[in-house]
Amino acid sequence: MEKLKNFVRKNPAFTVFFLLTLGVIAIAVFAPVLATHDPYEAVLADAVQPPGPEHWFGTDRMGRDLYSRVIYGARTSLAASLALVCIIMTAGTLLGILAGWFGGILDAVIMRISDMMISFPGMVLALAVAGILGASMTNAVIAIAVVSWTKYARLVRSLVLKIRERDYIAAARVTGSTSSHILWKYLLPNVLPTILITGATDIGSMIMEIAALSFLGFGAKAPTAEWGLMLNEGRAYLTAAPWLMIFPGLAIFITVVVFNLLGDSLRDVLDPRDEQGNGFGRKENE
Amino acid sequence: MRYRRKITAVLMAGVLAAGLAACGGNGTQDSGSGASSENGGTHLNFSCYSYSNSMDPITNVNSSWCFLRYGVGECLFRFDENVEVENALCDSYETEDYTTWVLHIREGVKFSNGNELTPTVVKESLERLYRTEADGTGSSTPSQYVSFSSIEADDAAGTVTLVCSSRTAALPGILAYPWYGIVDTSVIDSQVIGTGPYQVASLEENSAIELVKNGYYWDGEVPYDSITVYLTEDSSTKAMALKSGDVDLVENITTPSDLAELEADSDYYVSATAGVRLGNSYFNFHGVLGNNALRQAIFCAVDDETMCNVTVGGMYTPGCSVLPSSLSYGYEQLTDSYSYDLERAVQILDEAGITDTDGDGYRELDGQNIHLNYLAYSSRNLDEFAQAVAISLEAIGIGCAVTVQDYDTALANQSAGSFDLITSNAIVVPTGDPSGFLGNFYSGNSGTYGYYENEEYDALYERLLASVDEQERLELIIEMQQLLIDDAATLVHGYYNSTFASRADKVAGADITPMDYYWITTDIRPAE
Repeated sequence: MEKLKNFVRKNPAFTVFFLLTLGVIAIAVFAPVLATHDPYEAVLADAVQPPGPEHWFGTDRMGRDLYSRVIYGARTSLAASLALVCIIMTAGTLLGILAGWFGGILDAVIMRISDMMISFPGMVLALAVAGILGASMTNAVIAIAVVSWTKYARLVRSLVLKIRERDYIAAARVTGSTSSHILWKYLLPNVLPTILITGATDIGSMIMEIAALSFLGFGAKAPTAEWGLMLNEGRAYLTAAPWLMIFPGLAIFITVVVFNLLGDSLRDVLDPRDEQGNGFGRKENE
Repeated sequence: MRYRRKITAVLMAGVLAAGLAACGGNGTQDSGSGASSENGGTHLNFSCYSYSNSMDPITNVNSSWCFLRYGVGECLFRFDENVEVENALCDSYETEDYTTWVLHIREGVKFSNGNELTPTVVKESLERLYRTEADGTGSSTPSQYVSFSSIEADDAAGTVTLVCSSRTAALPGILAYPWYGIVDTSVIDSQVIGTGPYQVASLEENSAIELVKNGYYWDGEVPYDSITVYLTEDSSTKAMALKSGDVDLVENITTPSDLAELEADSDYYVSATAGVRLGNSYFNFHGVLGNNALRQAIFCAVDDETMCNVTVGGMYTPGCSVLPSSLSYGYEQLTDSYSYDLERAVQILDEAGITDTDGDGYRELDGQNIHLNYLAYSSRNLDEFAQAVAISLEAIGIGCAVTVQDYDTALANQSAGSFDLITSNAIVVPTGDPSGFLGNFYSGNSGTYGYYENEEYDALYERLLASVDEQERLELIIEMQQLLIDDAATLVHGYYNSTFASRADKVAGADITPMDYYWITTDIRPAE
């Protein structure tokens, strides 16, 4: 308990943003409790009602309760973006370690594929992939994963290249440790904090990218409660019924801000150099 | 170090400024082109939904419509604003038995490439249409309306003699249908050339079409030297382009809020016409929807009144028959056998044993959950109808997934029978007569419309084709409409009201006609 208090005292920003993140996740988890209506229940005659006591955020063009749809939208957006970040983090880390540790042809092949991927605008490539696979939330996640793993692979590779020359790795080799043992015991724990920080800051941008694909018709399909899709559905009524875009837009905005700030504060917690305020990275940015 | 940073900052600022200036420059040039073209001639910017990238009448229905709509081609006859047939490339005709027709081809008409329109070219153009239908190289099906046992051309007399396979009383109306648009067959392998007031200068698929004036046009002065047709899928984008001045004329704003705004603003002229277009969804009778009770329940579960008046904001007039209430085909004598009644829908399903036995929320038919594949395209609010129907069906335990596709893909799936329900929006009197549209439900033609089959209907349809007595035809048409309602043959949503919206200070004469085969015409001209 005392430790926790100390931690909170030392990291007030992280604590606040972590609680906010928990709040966002709680909204997704307890959506059935928080929602006032069934998000898919439509009363066609009640279409495009302005916000009021019965429908707090108004209704959409199919007469569905917008508040409930925004709440349920958190489930779709969070689940998809968390799954996406996990996929690209795992795949990128694995490929980066392989490339950095083993080098040679494996390194060349992985890095050239990665170069190819980053030499093309990510979103355009994701659109192409999603277009080929067809519109669905799973395909949107796959499409963005295909173009986003490279960042992690390159980052991990550079970290591995740095770490592999350290004395403790040399010592491990001398004592007869196998490659898999070194990778698991020494390399992975050392690259993990950086990867976690990158992953946490990426959640926000992944929510945006998934919403963008859905907005463009390559992600979630109607009638799914998904923020990007809801923005698209409300677009035609931008002037006549702005609440159709304002509330899903606000939901995206708040969630992305919360996750971005969490990522930033997580860096402060996990990076010991920044804790003292004289870290190398911090200095360079000043 | 400090100097280097300063220099870099100045350079970056310079690059940004240059970039912004370049972007701004483009914008100014683009918006300026709305009034006149670069060489100072008159120019029109028109925005419309892209129905097809082809303008060859043989390709499919939409390509033939584009041939006429963009003012590139013409038919031997055309419809006026009262849906009456008038002469176009044919200036007179004779028939004694409604089987052999002698059409006189208007003299002095030239294609936009300068080639002369001769009876031989007309013959070749029509023969090509039927040949490509027969060998499958074209998807247009002209024999749906009329087949010819012979087509003869006499260049000396300036006539084309058409011998119909059967008595065809309404041949001029049929020949006014876009499939029968006349193309210059001598160059058709490389380009589609017609006799319309404009010709295609360049085409960028799904993006824009540049049209230029046809210097050889036969029917009066062509008002614009050039026209840019922007192919815009989204209705709001079209409305915004009109408001921003990027375009001067748009067709069919389908977002109710945008249309209401334009109508209320005197800077814009909105032309609307009572619909002869049916918004409906075809059932695939070869799938799960071959089940009568299921279709009847769907009819009862769908509230067309609310969908037309609320969901699509009055863009459609609700109705129960395939022929619009605004036309004189006895709508008032029809009985809506399966009007909206949710309880009745549930009752029909329960009585037919289509129930949810495993408690997963979806009813089963033959042991399988019902999950309908509903295809839609986003033209004229059809996707909104599809979603509203899907929502209504979910409410009675029928699973329904809506997939919105572009029109060509949806049409290909329709032809292949890869759907349970598919939206449609068609003019029901395409040849000035509903018999062609009613033929969609004739078992010989219904393959591409979901395989509806009813012997009684077939017999009535055959009698309709043979009859020339107006009263008898009307009675047959009423009987056929009632049969389609009783059979729950197609889900009727309503009748579409077409619109044209233009900038009042830029464009004059932009009125939409009930038969919207004609968009760009010589009536549309720069405002005085």
